[in-house]
Amino acid sequence: MKEKKKGGLAGLLISDRWSNVTVSVLAVILMLLTSSLILLMMGKNPAVAFRSFLQGCGFWPKANYGGGSGMLSDLFDYLNILSPMMLAALSFIVAFKTGLFNIGISGQMLLSGFLATIMVGYLKDLSPWIAKPLVILIGAAAGGLAGALIGFLKYRFNIHEVVSTIMVNYIISYTTGFFINTRYVDMLTRSSRVCSPASRLTWTKVPVGGISCNIPLGIVIALLAVFVVKFIFDKTVFGFELKAVGTSRKCARYIGVNVQKSIILSMAFSGIFAGLAGVTYYLGYTNTIVPKTLPGMGYDSIAVALLGNSSPVGSIFASIVVTIFQSGANYMSSSIGVAKEIASLITGILLLYAACGEYMKELGRRRIEKAVDREIARMQEARIKEGPDISGRGAFRQAENASAAGRREQEERKDQKEGGEDR
Amino acid sequence: MTKVFTDGLSFALPLLIMAVGAIYSEKSGVTNLAVEGFQGFGAFIGALAAVLLMPHLDKSSQIPIYVAMLFAAVGGGVYACIHALLCINFKANQVISGVVVNILAVALTTFFTSAANTALAGTASNKFILGVSNRYSIPLLSKIPWIGGLFQKMYPFEWIIIGLVVFFWYLMYRTRYGMRLRACGENPQALDAAGGKVVRTRWIAVIISGALSGIGGICFAYSIMANYSPSIYMGYGYLAIAAMIFGNWSIPATVLVCLVFGIAKAGGQQLCIAMQLPGNYTDLFNMLPYILTMLLLIFFSKRNHPPQASGQPWDASRR
Repeated sequence: MKEKKKGGLAGLLISDRWSNVTVSVLAVILMLLTSSLILLMMGKNPAVAFRSFLQGCGFWPKANYGGGSGMLSDLFDYLNILSPMMLAALSFIVAFKTGLFNIGISGQMLLSGFLATIMVGYLKDLSPWIAKPLVILIGAAAGGLAGALIGFLKYRFNIHEVVSTIMVNYIISYTTGFFINTRYVDMLTRSSRVCSPASRLTWTKVPVGGISCNIPLGIVIALLAVFVVKFIFDKTVFGFELKAVGTSRKCARYIGVNVQKSIILSMAFSGIFAGLAGVTYYLGYTNTIVPKTLPGMGYDSIAVALLGNSSPVGSIFASIVVTIFQSGANYMSSSIGVAKEIASLITGILLLYAACGEYMKELGRRRIEKAVDREIARMQEARIKEGPDISGRGAFRQAENASAAGRREQEERKDQKEGGEDR
Repeated sequence: MTKVFTDGLSFALPLLIMAVGAIYSEKSGVTNLAVEGFQGFGAFIGALAAVLLMPHLDKSSQIPIYVAMLFAAVGGGVYACIHALLCINFKANQVISGVVVNILAVALTTFFTSAANTALAGTASNKFILGVSNRYSIPLLSKIPWIGGLFQKMYPFEWIIIGLVVFFWYLMYRTRYGMRLRACGENPQALDAAGGKVVRTRWIAVIISGALSGIGGICFAYSIMANYSPSIYMGYGYLAIAAMIFGNWSIPATVLVCLVFGIAKAGGQQLCIAMQLPGNYTDLFNMLPYILTMLLLIFFSKRNHPPQASGQPWDASRR
């Protein structure tokens, strides 16, 4: 509290509690400013553009709606794309906490979506009560196995997970593309045939108050998953071991953690969430697979995880922000005529600012240090002015004490900060 | 058979120049996953320069290619400053920074390609049509049986790349800067104590990395793609990183690895044509370089010696 009073923004940036949140909020604000600038340069009104992003997601009423749809149906569509995004971000977070980079979320999503589609989606006469859980199970299993493979390669053969996930991404993309093109292609759309409504993780065209909505099941899975991850990392030994491996592998080995097991399990765990993201995306949102195309979401989720400071709850908020731009892009593009690619540009800019987080914190720290230094300098000046009389000597002692206290406080804070990092 | 060598070499050399770029960055202690972004952005700047220049020149003129290569190097180098700034000055996580730079590159180039096309031609296409560079055979060498294919129908840029690789090999292993660069990646404290400048050395290395990747990107655009479009992000940058790891961060070894990759890719395609399989099967053969990379990594990753300080931000006050 004391720090907050002292330095405003800088204080917030270095306070233990608010530092990460402040960085994320700052990144969002900077992103809004930068993208406003870009929009202004293109001769568009940024306020109108941002409003149309919100309108596209059902957060703001549109001027007019087509037959049978309304704001609520837009909102449900937004939730439908939000859920795989949250799951994919969780997938990245789980691996990241263990010190691993799962760049292969896209591939794991595609693999699980593909397997679930061909194994369940094309079966006829299956009760939805069997089909939907089966889809989820297959998705989790496929993703988990793909993730575990990466972990295995990492510990057994020392292959950096970034390189192996990328190679596996392309292998999955080409293989599934080949099978879709040769066996499951819909000649009209050039993508895979749509899967049966029973297996789809979205209830389509449900009438809610007179408008038809597509209600996603995925959002329930995603929210559940957030709390599962939070519980595991905060309350279980397993989660602690993963974090220990992520902080320092040597130290973890020293305290008796099986590092190799942790690496494989963490990647498998990460893959499970990527798999869930895959089925909620391919069997919930799109309902079809475009061959040889990796979902960009796998990479955007890294942005989300980074912005959410790789905390499960933070990723909820971060994915809400990022998805607004991704999901509202189509409406924005059609209403004000800016290419919809600007959505990914905005995400990229956001990511850039989020990556500068450490630097922002350092700036805050420097500012506080400077303020303390100024205080000390002022006191010393006062000492010189007072002259060497008795009362002056008192003031001198006072200034001396104050500056020592200031320094001590500063050092304590630094220690705390470093302690926090080590943790 | 000769075609395998011809195509293989024209794929291997752009890959090699990107890998050399990545080696420079990593040897200086900056983990570089941003090659993919560098090459795409560099190629974008190069292609933009070529597209702007082309209407003023003769149709068959080959000048735009060289101008494009120059601009690609400049564009890649300038873009690499983002990575350098994040990794060296801002002390961001270097893997994260690489991923960020890649995502931003895809977004920037896709957006500005359509913006530029709208401004230039009035259509919001996401492609710059470039055409394919001319090819030349070398008179005597190309007649050699078996390996003659290596010297047939070469793109001029292949010669430029070979020259650049030799130059940068010399710079790294035979000059004072090169030695400092390698020291910078192994033990920056030692370099600092010896009076070298860690920050400056790393900045130069990352910029070189961006420039070389940009050249690699534009060469792909002028050979196998014949245009510039977002499909330039095919993962060749990552393939170059894999080549670097497999080549154990050494330039001569990486040359061999890239040749193997190139010949594997071209061989797969020729095999597919020779077996007269339907078009869909090319997908399976396109996978070959990636599968080969995985297998090779499995066998060779154990003995790797990555630069010791790679991935760690430099802090003068730490030991």
